[in-house]
Amino acid sequence: MPFAWKAAGLTYNKYLSVAARVVRRSLKEDKRLIAERRGEMDLKFSKWNNGKQGESKSLAEANSASMAEAGSQSSS
Amino acid sequence: MNSFRIARAALRARPAALKAPLQRRGYAEAVSDKIKLSLALPHQSVYKSADVVQVNIPAVSGEMGILAHHVPSIEQLKPGLVEVIEESGGSKSFFLSGGFAIVQPNSELSINAVEGYPLEDFSAEAVRAQIAEAQKIASGSGSEQDIAEAKIELEVLESLQTVLK
Repeated sequence: MPFAWKAAGLTYNKYLSVAARVVRRSLKEDKRLIAERRGEMDLKFSKWNNGKQGESKSLAEANSASMAEAGSQSSS
Repeated sequence: MNSFRIARAALRARPAALKAPLQRRGYAEAVSDKIKLSLALPHQSVYKSADVVQVNIPAVSGEMGILAHHVPSIEQLKPGLVEVIEESGGSKSFFLSGGFAIVQPNSELSINAVEGYPLEDFSAEAVRAQIAEAQKIASGSGSEQDIAEAKIELEVLESLQTVLK
C-alpha cells in the first residue's frame, strides 16, 4: 500500500519525526515539557568550494525544500 | 460398569506416568517458553532483554501477537499500542510513535521506536485539541507537505484516541 506522505515527497525519517512530535504533544503537562526538549533540532551546514566556506544554511529548511521538490516531481 | 473399572485403573496408573517424563527431562526440554524483549527508545530502554510471555504489536501488515519461538521477522510498526504480557500475568501498555519490531531466531524480540509512553501519561484533552487543529490544516489550503504532515498527525491522534477510551 503506498503511503500518502510518500506521495507528498516526505521521507520515512520525516514521517517518524512528525509522529514522534505529535506523541510528545499529547502527553500530560509535566512529561510533555521534559519530552518536547528532545524534539528540538537546529543544525546548519555549508558547502565548501575551493577552500572557501559557502553560505551556511539551516538543515531543516533545506530538507523541507528538497521534500517539496520530490513531492511536486512525483505528482506531475 | 466396565468403564468404571478402566477409569479407576487409569487413576491408579497416573502417578507413575507423571513421574516418568520428569526424570527424563534434559536440556532440550528445559528451554524456556519466554521471549526476551528489548524495547528501546533513543533516550531510554524500557525493557532490556526482559523475559516476557507475549507481546502484541501493531504492525503495518496487521496486529500481531508474538510468543516464544516465533518465526524470525522484521515488521514495521504503525503508531499504536504495544501490549506486553509479563511473567507475573500482568500486562503493560505503551503507545509507540512508530518504528520497527525485529524477531530474532532465539526468541529475542527487539522493538525500536522514537517515542513511547505508558498509556496513563497521555492527556485526552491534548489529543482532542490537536485533532481539531490537524483537521483544520488537513482540509485547508496549505502546501502539499503541510497537508501530508497534518494527515500523519491525524493518523497518530486517532489511534491514540481509540486506545485512550
